[in-house]
Amino acid sequence: MKEVAVTGVGIVAPPGVGKEGFWQNIREGKSFVSPITRFDASAYPSQVAGQVKEFDTGNLSPRLLKKMDRFSVMALVATEQALKDAGIDLAKEDPYSVGVFLGNTLGGWLYAETELRDLYQEGRNGVSPYNASAWFAAAPQGQISICYGIKGYSKTVVADRAGALMAVGCAVREIRNNKAAIALAGGTEAPVTPYALLCCTTEGSLSRGTYRPFDKERDGFVIGEGAAIVILEDMDSARSRGTTVYGSITGFGTSCDGANRITSDQDGKGLARAIKAALDNAGYQPGDIDYICADGAATELGDVSETKAIKAVFGDYAAEIPVSAPKSMFGHLLGASGAVDLVGTLLTMQEGVILPTINYRTEDPECNLDYVPNKSRSKEVNRAIVISRGRGGINAVLAVERS
Amino acid sequence: MANIEERLQDFFARFLDLSPAEITPQANLRDDLKMDSTEMVELVVALEKEFNIRLKDGEITNRNCVGDVLKTVGEKLG
Repeated sequence: MKEVAVTGVGIVAPPGVGKEGFWQNIREGKSFVSPITRFDASAYPSQVAGQVKEFDTGNLSPRLLKKMDRFSVMALVATEQALKDAGIDLAKEDPYSVGVFLGNTLGGWLYAETELRDLYQEGRNGVSPYNASAWFAAAPQGQISICYGIKGYSKTVVADRAGALMAVGCAVREIRNNKAAIALAGGTEAPVTPYALLCCTTEGSLSRGTYRPFDKERDGFVIGEGAAIVILEDMDSARSRGTTVYGSITGFGTSCDGANRITSDQDGKGLARAIKAALDNAGYQPGDIDYICADGAATELGDVSETKAIKAVFGDYAAEIPVSAPKSMFGHLLGASGAVDLVGTLLTMQEGVILPTINYRTEDPECNLDYVPNKSRSKEVNRAIVISRGRGGINAVLAVERS
Repeated sequence: MANIEERLQDFFARFLDLSPAEITPQANLRDDLKMDSTEMVELVVALEKEFNIRLKDGEITNRNCVGDVLKTVGEKLG
């Protein structure tokens, strides 16, 4: 079985577009959540989000841009960054050995809801024909494959907030089994739209103001937008061409709670199975892990059951492992969140700095792990896990190792 | 007709984000200007707005060249 190397990262997120800006901002533990300015959110209980400001769309033509929702544009920009970072020119690769694996939850809702409004107000002629190919969850995968001429097995995973990690897990399997030489993997999400925000609101998991994972005064998460893409390839190939290797993805585990259509199970047993599966897949013992990048949904059930799951797998050692939710700084990117957390964890291992859980004030007796409150911490991290959890009890866990 | 030809050339250049020089009467919409089926749908609606005309379904989408579009639009404008 081949070892899977991460050789490039690309990111479009509220703290920054590009890994340098992203990292410099999040390592300082700042908040990048702000009042929603893209539309009037005054009637919503949650009026804040992690928003990506204007960004350079590179060589994407106006003719192409008008055919895409924001989630596809962000995915294309992140992909270009990642390929450059990896030093890969896909024009020189066998297109049949390259695949795209992306997670997403909502699809291109800004495009869709705008066109639906026009349909009801103006009739058939008011609707852009591009909506047909702009709104659906697999649109970014299609645009990336067209843009780079990619023809290998590819997949879009819609698994709610676990989508991106599920997609990376699929990509890892393809590289390991020698079915693909290069995989572009990650996620993209653009939920800062009136309808998407409404759906997140009615689900009942959104904060009214401040995203405080694992804090006794938590009241839910805040939405964020962005995309993150990593380039995966066989470690031997990466080393032979002398490129920088961020780390390797050594394990993947997934499970379903089968408990509730919205929430996770009460005791975290489903997540514990996924964590254990990822550790087993990587050949790790619990004591091998130096850091856990948590899902940190900031709902009572979510935080408590995640804490229980970590304790169940790591036992007494759980108290010694830093567990943080960096998304407290920029919002929950839903189907892209796992990819952003993966990039953050790879940079954590590279830089020796663990990202904090910000807005943490009040300890919850039921959540009593080391959540790295409010400030980054210098610490060597050699092995870590990244956790993502979706509505309805979907769990995905990646194990990663420093190179 | 010359005036319509210039307007149409300018229209296509803006619509497709191309230079006017690329919009020749012989330019094939699909092969030269790389227009896909959804762009053809938008083209019809945009032409109707630009020239204040009505086009039937299929009246433009099956045309192959800019010159064909010019002829159709010219006939509509009388």
